[in-house]
Amino acid sequence: MVNVFAVPVFFILFRETLETVIIVSVLFSFLKLQLGPHRDPVVYKKLRKQVWLGTLIGLAICLVIGCGMIGAFYGLGTDKWASTEDLWEGIFSLVASLVISVMGAALLRVSKLQEKWRLKLAKAVEAKNSEHHGASMRQKMKAFAEKYAMFFLPFITVLREGLEAVVFIGGVSLGLPASAIPLPAICGLLAGVIIGWLIYRGGNRMPLQTFLIISTCVLYLVAAGLFSKSVWYLEVHAWNKATGGDASENGSGPGSYDIRKSVWHVNCCSPGVNGGGGWGIFNALLGWQNSATYGSVISYNMYWLAVIVGFVLLRFKEKRGRLPFMKAKVAECKFEAKKNASRGDSSVDHVAEKKDPAVNVHNGGDISPA
Amino acid sequence: MALAKVLLLALTSLATTTLADVRQYDFTVGWVDRNPDGQHERRVMGINGQWPIPAIYATVGDQVVVNLKNELGDRPCSLHFHGLYMNGTSHMDGVAQSTQCPVPANSSFTYSFNVTQPGTYWYHSHVDGQYPDGLRGPLIVHDPENPYADQFDEELVLTLSDWYHDEMPGLISSFLSVTNPTGAEPVPNSALMNDTQNLQIPVEPNKTFFMRIINIAGFAAQYFWIEGHTFRIIEVDGIYHKPLEADMIYVTAAQRYGILLTTKNDSSENFAIVGAMDQDLFDVVPDGLNPNVTSYLVYNTEASLPNATFVDEFKPFDDILLEPTDELALFEDPILSYTVDVKMDNLKDGVNYAFFNDVTFVRPKVPTLYTVLTSGNLSTDPTVYGINTHPLVLDHNQVVEIVLNNHDPGKHPFHLHGHDFQVLARGDDDSGDWDSEALSNGTVTYPATPMRRDTLLVRPNGHFVIRFRSDNPGVWLFHCHIEWHVDSGLTLTVVEAPLQLQQQLAGKIPEDHYDACRAEGMPYEGNAAGNTVNLLDTQGMNMSPGLLPTGFTPRGIVALTFSIVAGLLGVAVIVWYGLSEITPTEQEREESKIDALAKSSGIVEVTGVNAAEVDTKGKAGHGNARPV
Repeated sequence: MVNVFAVPVFFILFRETLETVIIVSVLFSFLKLQLGPHRDPVVYKKLRKQVWLGTLIGLAICLVIGCGMIGAFYGLGTDKWASTEDLWEGIFSLVASLVISVMGAALLRVSKLQEKWRLKLAKAVEAKNSEHHGASMRQKMKAFAEKYAMFFLPFITVLREGLEAVVFIGGVSLGLPASAIPLPAICGLLAGVIIGWLIYRGGNRMPLQTFLIISTCVLYLVAAGLFSKSVWYLEVHAWNKATGGDASENGSGPGSYDIRKSVWHVNCCSPGVNGGGGWGIFNALLGWQNSATYGSVISYNMYWLAVIVGFVLLRFKEKRGRLPFMKAKVAECKFEAKKNASRGDSSVDHVAEKKDPAVNVHNGGDISPA
Repeated sequence: MALAKVLLLALTSLATTTLADVRQYDFTVGWVDRNPDGQHERRVMGINGQWPIPAIYATVGDQVVVNLKNELGDRPCSLHFHGLYMNGTSHMDGVAQSTQCPVPANSSFTYSFNVTQPGTYWYHSHVDGQYPDGLRGPLIVHDPENPYADQFDEELVLTLSDWYHDEMPGLISSFLSVTNPTGAEPVPNSALMNDTQNLQIPVEPNKTFFMRIINIAGFAAQYFWIEGHTFRIIEVDGIYHKPLEADMIYVTAAQRYGILLTTKNDSSENFAIVGAMDQDLFDVVPDGLNPNVTSYLVYNTEASLPNATFVDEFKPFDDILLEPTDELALFEDPILSYTVDVKMDNLKDGVNYAFFNDVTFVRPKVPTLYTVLTSGNLSTDPTVYGINTHPLVLDHNQVVEIVLNNHDPGKHPFHLHGHDFQVLARGDDDSGDWDSEALSNGTVTYPATPMRRDTLLVRPNGHFVIRFRSDNPGVWLFHCHIEWHVDSGLTLTVVEAPLQLQQQLAGKIPEDHYDACRAEGMPYEGNAAGNTVNLLDTQGMNMSPGLLPTGFTPRGIVALTFSIVAGLLGVAVIVWYGLSEITPTEQEREESKIDALAKSSGIVEVTGVNAAEVDTKGKAGHGNARPV
């Protein structure tokens, strides 16, 4: 059996695909619910195209880079990748984690702000460069990011997952016959895609709010794992440099980790050894490590702390119109104005935006008084 | 005729006794600068300003006195005379913390012993893994009754060595470090013969040389051969054996071979003598390392010196095939057969240590010999020597067998002080543990007159069986002679006939030996912990670091629990936020923004199919039309 089906290859591809499809199918599902083919077909089509492009271009690039790496390894006999692999992993994971975190919060607010989102998406997509003439670099970049957010998120995700998959398979396939690789690779890919499709269909069936909450929870769990893994990878990289070699040649036994930084270590259950199996999936979804460090544990908890604080502050701002300990923004004044107006108090001279067409609304931000 | 013979014998023996000399050597150890491989000049430990250090010569029956003065300035030293039995002089064996305290800087120490055995030996420091810094040299004991005396014309000493460009203390600390978890030994920078390279040895044709080959390396074994010549092995580690012809020998660190080399008939060509370091144990071989060293048999000074030629395969002579000249029979079945398993593993400090039976050697606070002398009747109880000296207490005059199983994929040369031993069996590569079944079913037969030596190679994941007689009361180490492995603890201590030893050495330890202890405030009485009152209480003795935890420690469980709680809490907050309704404030804000957006992008809000639908619950497919 092992001659046609290498189990480690299946698990590698399955878990990489899983991480990717969770994100991609959530995006598709969200787009369908939010914009739908009936509401704004132009924008919908454009954004769907962005997601597809992001996915496919990412896939293409990582195939090219991956094949290049493997070619260099076999051809030149050097494994240049190995010495920096953990560094790349750490940085990629960090970026992915941050991007997912920001997107997740944005997606969640959507349910309450459908209208704004639809218009904002439409505006972002349709925006011409001239509109941003005179805008600051920051505003330009923000506009660019918004316009192509649907491209970047899947692109970064697929790039990272794909490169990981190529490199891991390159690693485990050294001891396997070539016939044992294609079948489990395709099976792993299919299994992941099926799950993604189920998420998409399931997402379409349930109320938008519920779907968004569940998918955001999953996204944040994945992002928390990524954040922790990012720190872990950077520490592994430092350890490999200190020991002058690939400490993972020790498998998961003594010497494969830095005892001084270890919080827990079990000699089994490694997501890295031999494809990782079920532990690899555990690692992909929740960031499990058989050898945890102070860095990886503390960063995981700090991430959740930041997320919790972030959402609480967000809610606070929504309720009170300001952040704690800060002055109220104009919106509150406007609200106050309305209230006062209804009470007949006209002494408040904050001008309502409706009456003032000269107000700058480059980025749909807060109203600034004329 | 018979009378004449007897008279002749009597005369010669008289002559020998009266000719028994005292050979005195005054050795001052200090630093000199040398560049033996021509690649790098460095400090080396010289003696009397010389390096290579002078050889010690003696004849059987001589008394040797070495007055050692340590002028290294910042570190201790000692001298061990490798291969000499030291019968009755165990306190002169030179092993720091086993038979003496180390000789501190600016101190003197006298070694005095009788030499009763002929052969090729060497002497070196036995403190802190320092001898590869240069403190090692030949020790030759001439034999007026050499059975092969009529077979050779001249003697020649040839030392083989590895060589490091860096000093030992730095290399040891990076070797025994948490950042070296695989225990990779530092790779030597070059190989030497007679502490130099490209040595030219002038020879005449048709002469036989008795070449004494000594490997004084700290790590690397060498394959040794002489191009165009074969030779006859007549001695290993000081023991004469019946001559066997060979063209290549494998000499581990600390081993010696005495060979008879007969030079060729003609003197037209010169020939290379090659030593090639065994790179199997080298971890990462740096580019440009030359593992070979070449010397030359110069028949003809006009002819060119040849380049050493490539060898496809190393096929060295197997020393177990030798039979001793004295035909000493296999010792009878042993009273004690002690099995040791050799392994390398990491301890709690992350360092890779070496173990005999799960015990790694740590030096005791009191030199083991002094514990023997001050523990009275309890000297036969191994407890007083501490756990980490790994004591093996033997009775006097018994046959003892050591079975060694190598659970490491490395080759190790094991050496026993104070003895030579019979080699009964040695397993091939990956032969696993010794199985006495092999004896009973006839797969292995012990030789009737087994080969004897004092330093023996064990193969990767193999085994060997050796026997000796405990006829030499003393404290003798049994250890791997790769200096890195001595540093990581691959040593055990044989405490042989402690009661007899007490009688033998009572009052005989010279004051300068105790002065060496006093100078550094080191104890010289009591058990391994220095306890003179309760010898069985070894609390406070030097021990190895603890074991690595194999599972979840309390710290790990707390960390995992916290992380799970954090995750659940985070998910709960997300759900809470997601379910919470939009506030009036926020709604107002967003409405204004939407209006502004609508205005600036020119999107006209109309009712109907494309109508904007704002619904705080946002159910898919539903929507409430809301007038702008």
